[in-house]
Parts: sequence; structure tokens; C-alpha cells
Amino acid sequence: MGWQDNDKNPWGGQKPPDLKEAIEKIKKSIPFKIPFGGKYGLVPIIVVVLLILWLASGIYFVAPDEAGVVKRFGEAVRSTTPGPHYHIPVPVETVMKPKVTQVRRIEIGFRTIGDRQLGRLRAVTNESLMLTKAENIVNLTFIVQYKIKDAIAYLFNVKNQDKTVKDAAEAAMRETVGESEIDDILTTGKFKVQQDTKAILQKILDGYNAGIHIVAVQLQDVHPPAQVMAAFKDVASAKEDKAKMVNDAYGYRNEILPKAKGKSAQITNDAVAYKESKIISAEGDASRFMQILAEYRTAREVTKKRLYIEMMEKVLPGVDKVIVDDKIGKNMLPHLSLGRELDKKINTK
Amino acid sequence: MKLKGKIGVIAGLIVIFVVSLSLFTVDQTQQAIVIQLGKPLEGIYGPGLHFKVPFIQQVMTFEKRILVYDASPTEILTKDKKNLVVDNYTKWAITNPLRFYTTVRNENGAQARLDDIVYAGLRVELGQHNLSDIVSETRDALMMKVTEKSAKRAEDYGIRVVDVRIKRADLPEQNEKHVFGRMKAERERQAKQYRSEGEEESKKITAKADMERTIILAEAYKISEKLKGEGDAKSIKIYAEAYKKDIEFYGFIRSLEAYGKALKKDTKLVINLNAPFFKYMN
Repeated sequence: MGWQDNDKNPWGGQKPPDLKEAIEKIKKSIPFKIPFGGKYGLVPIIVVVLLILWLASGIYFVAPDEAGVVKRFGEAVRSTTPGPHYHIPVPVETVMKPKVTQVRRIEIGFRTIGDRQLGRLRAVTNESLMLTKAENIVNLTFIVQYKIKDAIAYLFNVKNQDKTVKDAAEAAMRETVGESEIDDILTTGKFKVQQDTKAILQKILDGYNAGIHIVAVQLQDVHPPAQVMAAFKDVASAKEDKAKMVNDAYGYRNEILPKAKGKSAQITNDAVAYKESKIISAEGDASRFMQILAEYRTAREVTKKRLYIEMMEKVLPGVDKVIVDDKIGKNMLPHLSLGRELDKKINTK
Repeated sequence: MKLKGKIGVIAGLIVIFVVSLSLFTVDQTQQAIVIQLGKPLEGIYGPGLHFKVPFIQQVMTFEKRILVYDASPTEILTKDKKNLVVDNYTKWAITNPLRFYTTVRNENGAQARLDDIVYAGLRVELGQHNLSDIVSETRDALMMKVTEKSAKRAEDYGIRVVDVRIKRADLPEQNEKHVFGRMKAERERQAKQYRSEGEEESKKITAKADMERTIILAEAYKISEKLKGEGDAKSIKIYAEAYKKDIEFYGFIRSLEAYGKALKKDTKLVINLNAPFFKYMN
């Protein structure tokens, strides 16, 4: 084809001269001879460039949070790990890069409207109302978090993966709730409901070979249906009432018992005081008596007389006295109008 | 040279065109059959590159993945004559595209058929159980049974029923009202119980406290009387021991003391002049 024949003008003025010069320049700047040109001019170069570009299009990068799955004519042939890789370019091979570390989230019983941080929620009651054991109804919302466990299984085994997880989650939750008492679900059994639902859900999805790993099933809002909410709340306040009554009773007890103990201490202390004072004063009296007695014994008559006279002397001045002589007074005494004198005294007061 | 080249290019394009018509690919998520002049041929094509005769052969592709058929909720009567609104879904897959194509044609046709099969299975199975069993105990076993039955019947259509699952099984609205009424009554009973329990406990506690208080005070009284008694006894003993040394003198001195206390101001006293005090007045 005379490709080496570079000196001939290959374009015959068909192409703009500036391009021609540029090509010449490129050719001259390359130290070896380029096997292009000749009669076909630029076409082979374009073909080669396109070929190179086409081959280069097979280079792809798998990001750290992705897994690469290469399909050859539609058939999955290999999976690749994060990093740079090469596949035969389209249409022979194509690559799919699902995000395998990303945790996806499904809301059941409610939907977040707009931004999740703002937290505006819309209830979906036909998803959230469910029957519990003994035919009670509970209103329950939850979220399911899942991620891809096996990229190939995830991509090729089940259509509509999100809906699959959601449907299975609803079935699993209702199965769990159907086996639980409403009081457990509302109070202490929440963790168990989550765990059981997660286990059942995982089992269902594994049954479909869905390549999905359930990260968590999380109850959001669990409460009785609106129609019976008031009654449930009243039970809660009745519980509070009960606790309050008991507390009040203990309060009463705590008030009266220490008081009683205090009073008890007071009574016994008073009694001790009485006892001691009784004894001490007795001892005092006794001691006094003994001392007087001792002196009295040394001079009986004198002492007796003295004590008597001193007493009379002390007593008589204040007393209203009537002194009667035996010799005269024998007949007089009955006439003494003691009564009248007394009356007068009372009236003048 | 130019003409030859042109012819070459055109010939090449024609070849590429014909080859492209005789080649087809099947995706990993699909399976295919080939139809020749309207008649499906034997053979199922899996993922990859395949050949066919151009123009007279057509390719029909079908899903290979598990599909879902989500039936609309239906009311089903249970054994204990209660209505239950059952919302179920069926997971199914096309296992034999050839038979699938000849019997139900496409996914829509399959869903209509599945609806019949699954609904019949559910109705029969749920009709044999009480509501509480369906909701609580036997749900899983029951669904497995329906799945098995449906799978057997769906085989004829080249369909594999993977799973029939009751998504929701709820009471119809009018029955829900009864349930709410009952739940309410139950809660009211509980509330009453809590309140009367509170009263009971509170009374027990206060009564016990009152009792303890009474006992504490009585105990204190007992101790105090004992102490006082001891004091009294001891003092009596002390007095007796002292005074018995000279009873006569004690009588004298004590009497004097008593006179002093008894004869206060305004006491009227009639004294005989013979009293020893006046001895020297006579």
C-alpha cells in the first residue's frame, strides 16, 4: 500500500492545509517512521485511535464500597474486588458495580416526607396495625436495614429487591407479633420482637437466595391503636396512682413512727428522772434525819422542846387564833360563833 | 481501487448486519426460547451469546429471577366463622419457559393463573383453622402447606412457586371495633385493679404504722412505770431504813414539819391554853 511513501502528498488538497502541517509535524517529531499515510491518509489513524479508545474503555475502577461483577454477553463470568480492573470492552463485556457496603433502609408503617433530619412522618396504618396473640391489635412501626451479602446473588436472583425485603419484613413482623402478648410488645418484649423478626426475615430471604444480609430490624413507635389509647393511658396513670398511694402511706409511716419513738424516749427519760430524783431526795431526807437524830440523841428533852417552840413561833403568827382557857372556856366554847365569823369573811372578799 | 474499497466496505457492512441478526445475547437475569415461524423450538437458552437463523427465527426472553405476585387483600372465612382480611404475596419463578410460553404466554397470564391457584389454596387451608391459630401458632406451617400445594399445581405452567406468604392477616373494620371494645374493657379492669391494689397496700401500710406507734408508746409507758416503781420502792426503803432508827422522834419531827405546812395564814386555830406552848402563860 506504499505506507512508507511519506513524501507524496496524500490528500490532494482535500483536507485543510493546517491539519496537514500538523500531521507532518507530529510525524517529524516522532523518531521512527509511522506506518500510516499513503493513499488512505487519516482514516487508518482515526481507526487506530478509535480502536485504542475502545480498548481503553475496558478499564474500570471498583470503589472501596463496591463490588464489580463482569458480564460477558449478558452472562456473569467473574466478580472483582475494589481497585482498577480491565474487561473486554462493550459489547462483549459489561461491568456492574453494586454498592455492597451501603446500608439500605426500608420504613414500614410510616414514611418520612422530605428530609429525614426534619423528621416529618406520615403514618401508613394499614401497614402498622397488626393482630397480636389473644386477638388484640397493636400499632407498630419499624425500619429494616439491610445490605448486600452476595453481589451476584443480589443482582441476578430476585427481581425488585426492595419490595422483596419489605414484603418479607411485613410477613416476618406479623408472624412475630402474632405470637406475642400485647403487653410484652408494648413494654419489655421489644428487643425480642426485633430479634425474632430479624431471624425470620433473614431465613425468608435466604430461602429466595436473595444475597441480602439483614443488618437490623428496629421498632420505631409501638403503641396501642388510637381507638383504645385513652384506656391504655389510664392503666398507666392507674399504675402511677397506685405507686403514689403506696408512697403516701410510707410517707405517713415515716412521719408518725419517728415521732412516736421520740415521744417514747421522752417518756422513759422522764421516768428515769423521776426514779432518780425520788431516790436522791429520799437519800437526802434520810441523811438529814439521821444527822438530826444523832444530835437529838445526845440531848433529847432540850432538843425536842426547842424544836417544838421554834415551830410554834414560826407557825402561830400567821394563823387566825382563838385561844381558850380550859377553866373558863369549858362552857363558852359552844357559843363561839365560829360559823358566822367565817361567813362574814367570805362576804367581804 | 476506490470502487473496490467501497464495495469492500459495503460487503463488510452487510456481513456485519447479517451476523448481528443471527447473534443474540441473553442476560444473566433472563432465559430465552427461539420461535421459528410462530412455533416455539425445543431448547432453553441461558445467559451468554447464541446463534439463530435470521428472519425466520425470533427470540423470546423471560425472567429467570424470582418474581413477586402481590395479590390484593381478600376476606377469608376461618374455621371458627370469623372473617380475616388476608394480604398475601407469592414468590415465583419461570422454570420452564417453553411450557410457560405455550400455556400462559407472559407474566400477566401467569399472575392470573397464580391468583386462582394461591387463593384457592389459602381459602381451603385457612378454612380448616381457627383465627387464633392462623394469627399465632400455625402461621408458618400453614403457609408452607399452601406453598407446597400451589407449587404442585403451578408446575404445569412451567412455574415454580417459591413461597406463599401471608403479609397481613387482619380483621375487617367492623370486627376491629369489637376488638377495640374488648381491649378497652380489659384495660379499664386493669386500671381499676391497680387503683384498688394501691388503696389496699396504702391501708395496710398506714394501719401497720399506727399499730407500731401504739406499741412503741405502750412499751414506753411500761418502761416508765417500771422505772417509777423502782424509784418509789427504793425511796421507801431508804426512808424506812432511816426512820425506823427512832420512830417516835420521826413522828415528832415530821409532825412539826407538817404543822408548819398545814397551818397557813387565815387558818382558824382554836388552841387550848393548856397546850404545852402556853405552859408559862398560866
